[in-house]
Amino acid sequence: MNTKLKVSKISKIYPGCIANDNVSLNFESGKIYALLGENGAGKSTLVKILSGVINPDKGQIFLNDKLLKLTSPKDAKNNNIGMVFQHFNLFETLSVFENLSIDSEKNNYQLRILVNNILKKYNFKIDLDVPILNLSAGQKQKVEIVRCLIRNPKVLIMDEPTSVLTEQETEDLFLSLKKFSREGILIIYITHKLKEVLSLCDEVAVMRKGKVVSISRTVDEELSSLANKMIGESLNKIKKMTSHNLSGEQILSVSRLNFNSEDPYEVNLVDINFTLNKGECLGIAGISGNGQNELFQILSGETLSNNGSIKFRSKEISKLNPKERREYLMAFSPEDRISQAAVPSLKIYENVALNNFKTSNFFEKGLFNERKIKDHSKKILSNFSVNTDNVNLKSQFLSGGNLQKLILGRELITSPELLICFNPTWGLDVGAINYIHQTLVKINEQGKSIILISTDNDELLQLSDRISVINKGKLSKIMSAEEVNPEKLGLLMGGGLVD
Amino acid sequence: MNIDINFLGILIGAIMASSVPLILAASGELITERSGVLNLGVEGMMIIGAISGFALMVITDNLFLAIIGSMLSGLLLSFIFGFLTQSLLTNHVATGLALTIFGIGLSAMIGKDFVGIPGKEFPLLFVNLKEAIPLFGPIFFGHSIVFYFAFLLPFGTNYFLKKTKIGLIVRAVGDSPVSAANQGINVLLVRYCCILYGGAMCGLGGAYLSLIYTPQWIENMTAGRGWIALALVVFATWSPLKVLVGAIIFGGITILQLHMQAIGIRIPVQFLSALPYIMTIVVLVIISRDSRKIKLNTPTSLGQIFYKEK
Repeated sequence: MNTKLKVSKISKIYPGCIANDNVSLNFESGKIYALLGENGAGKSTLVKILSGVINPDKGQIFLNDKLLKLTSPKDAKNNNIGMVFQHFNLFETLSVFENLSIDSEKNNYQLRILVNNILKKYNFKIDLDVPILNLSAGQKQKVEIVRCLIRNPKVLIMDEPTSVLTEQETEDLFLSLKKFSREGILIIYITHKLKEVLSLCDEVAVMRKGKVVSISRTVDEELSSLANKMIGESLNKIKKMTSHNLSGEQILSVSRLNFNSEDPYEVNLVDINFTLNKGECLGIAGISGNGQNELFQILSGETLSNNGSIKFRSKEISKLNPKERREYLMAFSPEDRISQAAVPSLKIYENVALNNFKTSNFFEKGLFNERKIKDHSKKILSNFSVNTDNVNLKSQFLSGGNLQKLILGRELITSPELLICFNPTWGLDVGAINYIHQTLVKINEQGKSIILISTDNDELLQLSDRISVINKGKLSKIMSAEEVNPEKLGLLMGGGLVD
Repeated sequence: MNIDINFLGILIGAIMASSVPLILAASGELITERSGVLNLGVEGMMIIGAISGFALMVITDNLFLAIIGSMLSGLLLSFIFGFLTQSLLTNHVATGLALTIFGIGLSAMIGKDFVGIPGKEFPLLFVNLKEAIPLFGPIFFGHSIVFYFAFLLPFGTNYFLKKTKIGLIVRAVGDSPVSAANQGINVLLVRYCCILYGGAMCGLGGAYLSLIYTPQWIENMTAGRGWIALALVVFATWSPLKVLVGAIIFGGITILQLHMQAIGIRIPVQFLSALPYIMTIVVLVIISRDSRKIKLNTPTSLGQIFYKEK
């Protein structure tokens, strides 16, 4: 049977932000629809409205020309709208089967037969009696999908489903989704990943700042056209000038650095030696979990090395803590924005105040100088185009890209001589990635140095002057960016090329 | 020898009887906590149950009404807690502490006129069997109906949590209220019910003290049992059957150390008095060491305030 879903003039306004602005869309079964947009474009609000989690301020939803009233998630379920959230809605301590049975009217015996049939049909391999917390992200997602399939959905909405999946799991998911679509389920796929739209979907609606800005067939689109629609402007091509004023002045030298961890899950660092010049970007590539974390922590002072020396502008700093190192004009941007770089439950200006320097006078006689901190925070927000000017906003309400801009801004506003960043664009959308890359290039051009630890090879090749690869806690020979290509990098990362 | 066996039976019977209030209160609190709500007001609800049960008994002369009334008063007190924490979103810990202080104060005020009044004899079941069977008679027979209810309760609670749909929903809410709400479960309703049930069980535990165990009203007569019940739930890692074990150990050592004091064993009295607390915690920690089970049984959202997205 044909399913038609119509979203008509939906608006949802939050204080200070129009999440959905008069959104109208038409969907029909047999096709896979992409809803594309940056973080904060209003996609998630729209799907929460479609699944009954939140109520729109205005607008209507029609399923097969029948007006739907979705006031609770139950209404969506009863109208055969299934939803797989980006952050799983599973009960971690309950078993798979318990998770499935909790909202099913069937008795356990019937349900088990039904679930086993679904698992067999789509070739999902999940043990029904283990607790969710023992499953991988991909398996958890399958449980979510099975939970929807139990109710014979007419519509299946997937909210950024691949953000936690491995490549293989993503491929499996796409195969399943195509199968569902052939069976007549209307699929709405929400994402900010352009490649996925082109490889999976038939039609694409692009959202920007709460509005639908374009609806088109994917065969008429290509990566760059979609990116431009999503960002709303043409992306500036990042150009790295390799011949900028490299003075040859050495700013950092690390020698004979070793780190033996007591934690069996950490990687030991072995004999790390490198130097960094003023105005240079040193890229450190590697498959994640090969010692990047430990290297970052030792360079930032979160942990101290067992031996070896770190000299910054010819001063020995290896025994200093991060705060002391910052006073010497080093800056750090850790990988985990939420738990390491910022405290999500604190307000923006409070997070800014955490980076407190002797010279910044945020505190007077132990008391908070609120006005000063707020002025300083406002300056960061505007200089680094964070998408709000409200310094009282809790940091957890910032999207990943905006949070990263805030963190980088906090680090860079004191014009440090050296920035050490670890996966600065992880999980961000193209617009934010582009902005951050531009920022990094700019500080290089100002004669400041960067150590870029990243698992994104494109990023490294684009931004670095010299590149080294870390593998099992060892750094490879440092190569100039011109002599490196993706193949060579790949070989070094896998430990397949010994120099 | 015959006398020794009978003495042993009576001793074990006494130990079991002394653990009844703990089992009741802890089983109730366990359900509350499994739904993600941390109610530290157990002591307050118990003492309110104790005084209102005793007062109703004196006024109406009806033990059945007294028992029901004690449960209702515990439930009422827990409703205050529920309204504050669930509807007004106050902090669980602070509200629970306030509830205990409030309960102790209120009970002392109500109880002024009831000090020194003798209690009424509570009907005991199977009294003739108690005499007839050596050893097992005094252990299993000749107890009040509340006693039997208390010893069945942990098994019932276990069955409820593990086997029934509603038990599953309670656990789900305690695991992740946000996910539960997204699944269309009425989180507030579930949590209110669990809070009220916990309150009623605490009230009953208090009434057992003032109507059955030591039938009279003494100010502050729960004497910290509410706190022990709370500790039992945590150290038993939210497993009803381990709560039962913990309660019996605590009751057992309390009784035994009293006997040891009476016999005059050369161990400092203070140490003997501290013994039940130490031993209960040690034993529960040892039998609950399985970290995987701890992870599965611990309500992940315990003590977290939940509010619905609109």
